[in-house]
Amino acid sequence: MASLVRSWIPLLILQSFLVAVAFGSKEAEQFSEALLLKPLPDRKVLAHFHFENRAPPSNSHGRHHHLFPKAISQLVQKFRVKEMELSFTQGRWNHEHWGGFDPLSSMNAKPVGVELWAVFDVPQSQVDTSWKNLTHALSGLFCASINFLESSTSYAAPTWGFGTNSDKLRYGSLPREAVCTENLTPWLKLLPCRDKDGISALMNRPSVYRGFYHSQRLHLSTVESGQEGLGSGIVLEQTLTVVLQPETTSVETNMQPSWSLSSLFGRKVVGSCVLAKSSNVYLQLEGRLGHESKNVDTEIEAHKLWKNADFDLSLKPDRVLRESSGLLFIFDIDKSSDSEPFDLGLNWKLPSKWSCQQAPLQASRFLMGSGNERGAIAILLKATESQEKLPGRELTDGRCTIKANIFQIFPWYIKVYYHTLQIFVDQQQKTDSEVLKKINVSPSTDKVSSGMLEMMLELPCEVKSAAISIEYDKGFLHIDEYPPDANQGFDIPSALISFPSHHASLDFQEELSKSPLLSSFKEKSLVRSYTEVLLVPLTTPDFSMPYNVITITCTIFALYFGSLLNVLRRRIGEEERFLKSQAGKKTGGVKQLLLRLTAKIRGRPIEAPSSESPAAESSFLSTKLIFKIILIAGAAAAWQYFSTDK
Amino acid sequence: MEETSDRLNPTTDTSGITPEFDPKTMRSTKPGLKRLFITTSVLFSFLLGVPFLWKSVEIYRSPLPFHDIDSLSDQIESTPLRFPCNFHAVFVGFESTDPDNLRSQIQDGINQLTHQSTQCGSCNFSLSVTVQNPADQCSETLAHNPSTCSYRCGVITRNEFGVGLDDTVDESLNDVFSGCSENSGKTYSVVVVNKENANGEDEVLKAVVGKRRHAWVVGSGLEERYGDIVAGVSEIFVKVFMNGGRDEESIHGEFMPVGSDGKIVLSFSLLNSNPRDWVYDWDFQRIDDALLAPVTKALAPIANISVESQVLYHTPKSSFSAWDEKLQGYIFRTSDLPFFVNSNEWHLDTSAGASGRSKILQFVVYIPSGKECPLLLQLPNGEISKTNGFISPMWGGVIVWNPENCDKDSESPSRNTISPQELEQIVEIFLGQFRQLFGFKSEAIYTSGLGTYKILPSERGFTEWELDVLSRKHTCFNLHSCSTTLGSLSRLVRSLPRMIIKDEIGEQVKYSLKAAKLAQSNASLGGYSSSASSSREARSLAENVFFHPSIMSVSYFSYEHCFAVYSPFFLPVVAHIVLAVNREWKRYRQEKAKYLTWLTRKKTA
Repeated sequence: MASLVRSWIPLLILQSFLVAVAFGSKEAEQFSEALLLKPLPDRKVLAHFHFENRAPPSNSHGRHHHLFPKAISQLVQKFRVKEMELSFTQGRWNHEHWGGFDPLSSMNAKPVGVELWAVFDVPQSQVDTSWKNLTHALSGLFCASINFLESSTSYAAPTWGFGTNSDKLRYGSLPREAVCTENLTPWLKLLPCRDKDGISALMNRPSVYRGFYHSQRLHLSTVESGQEGLGSGIVLEQTLTVVLQPETTSVETNMQPSWSLSSLFGRKVVGSCVLAKSSNVYLQLEGRLGHESKNVDTEIEAHKLWKNADFDLSLKPDRVLRESSGLLFIFDIDKSSDSEPFDLGLNWKLPSKWSCQQAPLQASRFLMGSGNERGAIAILLKATESQEKLPGRELTDGRCTIKANIFQIFPWYIKVYYHTLQIFVDQQQKTDSEVLKKINVSPSTDKVSSGMLEMMLELPCEVKSAAISIEYDKGFLHIDEYPPDANQGFDIPSALISFPSHHASLDFQEELSKSPLLSSFKEKSLVRSYTEVLLVPLTTPDFSMPYNVITITCTIFALYFGSLLNVLRRRIGEEERFLKSQAGKKTGGVKQLLLRLTAKIRGRPIEAPSSESPAAESSFLSTKLIFKIILIAGAAAAWQYFSTDK
Repeated sequence: MEETSDRLNPTTDTSGITPEFDPKTMRSTKPGLKRLFITTSVLFSFLLGVPFLWKSVEIYRSPLPFHDIDSLSDQIESTPLRFPCNFHAVFVGFESTDPDNLRSQIQDGINQLTHQSTQCGSCNFSLSVTVQNPADQCSETLAHNPSTCSYRCGVITRNEFGVGLDDTVDESLNDVFSGCSENSGKTYSVVVVNKENANGEDEVLKAVVGKRRHAWVVGSGLEERYGDIVAGVSEIFVKVFMNGGRDEESIHGEFMPVGSDGKIVLSFSLLNSNPRDWVYDWDFQRIDDALLAPVTKALAPIANISVESQVLYHTPKSSFSAWDEKLQGYIFRTSDLPFFVNSNEWHLDTSAGASGRSKILQFVVYIPSGKECPLLLQLPNGEISKTNGFISPMWGGVIVWNPENCDKDSESPSRNTISPQELEQIVEIFLGQFRQLFGFKSEAIYTSGLGTYKILPSERGFTEWELDVLSRKHTCFNLHSCSTTLGSLSRLVRSLPRMIIKDEIGEQVKYSLKAAKLAQSNASLGGYSSSASSSREARSLAENVFFHPSIMSVSYFSYEHCFAVYSPFFLPVVAHIVLAVNREWKRYRQEKAKYLTWLTRKKTA
């Protein structure tokens, strides 16, 4: 197939090449990688991989790239995406134990399945088209059925409830999408080192997917250059959050398990990705501030931070940072090599207990009612212990209040009656004007669009619990619209609860180098949590029904037709003569019985031969009765047999 | 409907007429036809209803012009498309040559060269010959086609011609032949200059093919080598201008790496097979602006070309290479080439920017890792390839680029940028590969049995006459692919009688055929660009039809389905009717026999 090339020597104009337009001091594309490890109070370990790829403002986006993935850049270029986030999640974030009020959880706790939202930079009329094309492109790129978000019944355009205020925003989620390694591989392809080198080499598929929770996220945003005639820059942030259970040998139940990178992932880091500008590993320990003295300057004090009576680390951290609620150890993995792999370990010596910072209210959602006709959805907000300590309370009219936004999409077959919205605060029903500050409802249209509910609650600070319930009717789908496993039920996507006046950020006491992970933690992020996915069983038809109907109708028609034809060609006189002549003869009891039966069925009274005695008639009547009983019994038995057969 | 035909009372009726009336074997009245008539009429109405039912369950199939499709493919198979070309030969400084004679000889020569290869996209030529004697007097024989531009006598002087650079000569020839009307095909000219034999010895014959549509042969004492010159001129016309100097055995002319929407995406990838050893980067933006833009501009009539580049890391090749002490390098052989491209690790990526059915050509610059540096390609004859690259038709090309210094000096990887000079070399190799993918030679010399011709290379990668060849081949390729696509569509449609065919499919087939016809007629008139565009349209419409979603999803409304739906009704009903008719018919015959026996009995009585 291949043929060899011999040199072709064109007279290339070198001059034009040399005088090529100088782009001035061109900023280069930058890539950085980081891994954050964090022991969790419930004896699990969280690993958060963070990769950031920055493309500076340029006009050659989508055409010439060095580190930045060409596919993503072309996507941005083609669909004019301003900001986009795509996440694949399996498992549910445990807000109680894993935290709900830190940047990590507010950004990386995602609903089960696939969630996609995007803001476009196109005229309002083209937003939907762009969204549809984008879903198809992404579904090809990530090997997932994101293209199901194309239909207008599966996405919505939130106005303010989502947190990002834009009229060119589209949001959709697929709760039932199974997430596995076929989604991770294309995601890794976007990294310059893939999983060949650097921190991403830790991503051993069996250990990642054995975890309790994993969420792979891709967030991209464009940065306007501000210069005339220059395109915009793109920032691509890829994160993978995994919650793993370290294997322990210790029998003590209150002892935190000790772990190392190799025991968690089954692999070690043998060096950084050579293309990364920075590659760091962070270890965050929460709730260890009590017994630390203020001066960390001395060598001994610093040493005490990572090797003390409670725990020790297997490697010396390059730096230690303090933040409001704990310690952050920073390790640089540039020094590691094949001979000396980086294998960070944490060894607990004493039982230790701490708790995570939690969101002001903890949300859960459930279904009420039974049957296949109607039901109600309830969202329950419970106050957490840490509520009093949190900042972000507001004083309105002299009252201390907490604001909570609820954003919920209803599929069209869940026909919600918005007038049935009831709000209970501390088990007491409240009128809308008391607690509801803002509400935005867009009702669903059958088979055309999904419904959306956005509301802003203003609850008093001392609230213990708040509940919202709304009733719905279940709709009927057309037989073609049922998915293959219709009896499993239908998913209602997670509701998003966000607290607009609460922002999570890590506050480091020292100014630090520009690490993308830490700077993203430093930014104030909206505290938000997703509720459970609900499973609504709908009435499912018998899918063989059309054929049954056809068969029964046809049989009835055939019966009618046949009997009509029989009536048309009957010869009554002849039959009567025949019967008479038969009556004249002495016939057997059975034969006569049959004869009578046929006459009975044909609806003609038999002319009882006059020769018959009344005694014979009485015996005949009794046989008739017996026959009827037998017939009914037989029919019942047949019915029983055929109905139980299935 | 009270039926009374059998109401005969034997006790009253028969007693008086004949004593031997037997009610079992005979009857006195004619048997009635009413019931027989009713049942048969029902049966017949059913039979009459069958065609209506058939019509009602029929699925919609838009009528396709099967005949036209077949005739188009027959036509393309049997009579290859030919474009009109005007060949003009000018002989300067020839004393005693009759142009008519020359013309017929060149014509013979051309016919001899073309008669065996009647491939698509060749020329339907008209030849004109001008002879200018040393006294600058001309005699010419024009072609039948009067539109060819005439050569103004005496413009080319015998002794001053061909002095200086070939490029300037080419430009001057362009001035000489400017003003040619190009309504009916392109005009190609060959100028043969017989110089005065100044030194008394034969000058070396010099033959050059220019960048435009001109070639010239300069020498002295050419009149004596008359036969050779005639053969050479006809060879330039046929092998170079008509066939583009292609090797017959190289890539088959039917393949053009152009997508059906007329787009090509050139995707350049720089592969660092192991970035831990060294990392190389390039400034491709400059290359694109400076060197590739003229090429894409030149090829604009053929295809809409866009250029992309990326740098990939951790991309080892998938074949093995071994150290060779003598050549001081790691050797991979031509037999390893099918395994060189590592489709697992080289995620060259189909471009999201290339919409629909654009053709993506991958050009890969492979930088070997420290373990396999320098990596050299060994040709079958044992030599090392000068370009260290290879192509794969319709896919693209691979260039192995070895770093200057293969020793890994330090522990940390070195970051380098490929220098502009080196990049320029890479682009030169790429241009050669690109030309090869289009079926041209990558070298600047055309050698044939009669001598060698120098071919002036264009800085745009393709000369004008080469672009003409491409445009002819492209039209041919498009028409050929259109006819094969439509042919397979018609075969598919005919083989699946229960497939729904929408109206738009029928319409698009019609438009495609129309465009193909238009392309053919434009081609025969010499409209290069118009025929290329309409052939492109024909092909893209044909492919649209073939990949239409409604064709991809074959209907499930099969015969089995039909049977399952209608049989519960028709089987029992038809059984009733057939039985009834049968019974009535039997009874009628029986009763009639009874009646006949009664009649005979009555007669005998």
